[in-house]
Amino acid sequence: MAMSAPLLDAIAPDAAISLVAALAVGAAFGWALECAGLGSARKLIAQFALTDLTVFKVMFSAVVVAMLGSFWLGRAGVLDLSRVYVPETWLGPQIGGGLIFGAGFAIAGRCPGTSCVAAATGRGDGLAVMLGMLGGAFVAGVVFDPLRSLYEGGARGALTWPALLHVPYGAVVFVVVALALAGFYAAETIEGGAGEGDPHHGRVTNGGRP
Amino acid sequence: MTGPSLRRRLAQAAALAGAVAPFAGSPYLAESAALDVVRLAGAVEREDDHVTAAELSAWLRDRKPGLRVIDLRSADEFDAGHIAGAERMSLTSLARAAFRPDETVVLYSEGGAHAAQAWVFLQARGHERAFFLRGGLHEWIEDGGPAAPTPGDAKKPAPSPDGAAARARRRGC
Repeated sequence: MAMSAPLLDAIAPDAAISLVAALAVGAAFGWALECAGLGSARKLIAQFALTDLTVFKVMFSAVVVAMLGSFWLGRAGVLDLSRVYVPETWLGPQIGGGLIFGAGFAIAGRCPGTSCVAAATGRGDGLAVMLGMLGGAFVAGVVFDPLRSLYEGGARGALTWPALLHVPYGAVVFVVVALALAGFYAAETIEGGAGEGDPHHGRVTNGGRP
Repeated sequence: MTGPSLRRRLAQAAALAGAVAPFAGSPYLAESAALDVVRLAGAVEREDDHVTAAELSAWLRDRKPGLRVIDLRSADEFDAGHIAGAERMSLTSLARAAFRPDETVVLYSEGGAHAAQAWVFLQARGHERAFFLRGGLHEWIEDGGPAAPTPGDAKKPAPSPDGAAARARRRGC
């Protein structure tokens, strides 16, 4: 936790307090997902039909907020970015895992975060996806040794775009923000076209519940 | 304030923060670090700076908690074969990487020179639980240490402590 959230070091050096803080951040994340209507499987599936791009907009907004926040907090000297954990790149397992994740998302209409949110709000399908997720993790652990070469394939270390492209961090921030804004504009345009004639399209009136 | 107008303002704020970012400089607090050379010299004299192939093999076999083995060679060299369980990292990535205080980091390269340099980087960054593999991958293979992804290598016997000691005596280190 000290590594993932070095901001807490000064105020919460104790690991137990850090874990409580992690729980609070996780709960806030779930609450934000629910407020955005992402507890609804219909809303998530609409992403793949290009009729409601809320998932894209919420997730890309989160990326931009986190990126701008960490960049400017680092620049202001509040956050030590060198202590923020950067997940390592393992091409083999991450490509395989990404494909399984995408297929599971399309089939179940849930991703890990939204399934937890759905289960917490009493939706049975969310609970089913959570159980499937835990079962999958268990099976992956059981067959770890035979799949070891896949798990260890394509290790590239902790890659970041600035280090990979040899460009300043700020230039990457600029490009990502530009892509996000262009993406939001395109998403609204697509949704506008798809929602013509549907007065309720794109609105979350009841937390996205069907 | 209506929804669309709030979203427009947020988008404008993000655009402004993003547009200024390329001119703001590096967000990292400091890319230089202080070095206690006397402490490092002491660690080298006590041979606390490295592990032998036999010691690393025992740590891997015992699944030492918090152990991270870092391969500092190129991606192609790593893909051609590496110590089982190792992760690859460039020297630049390593210099910026974050390690938990309870993690034990073992660094290795082909012969050991880059790993020894990387050990100094980690010490300068304050991570004292770092070691380099003495003799690098050469000595590891010479001692018959298990490597991945070649399946046959995994069945080789673990390095013999006696063999490593004999080699150390031969080298006078």
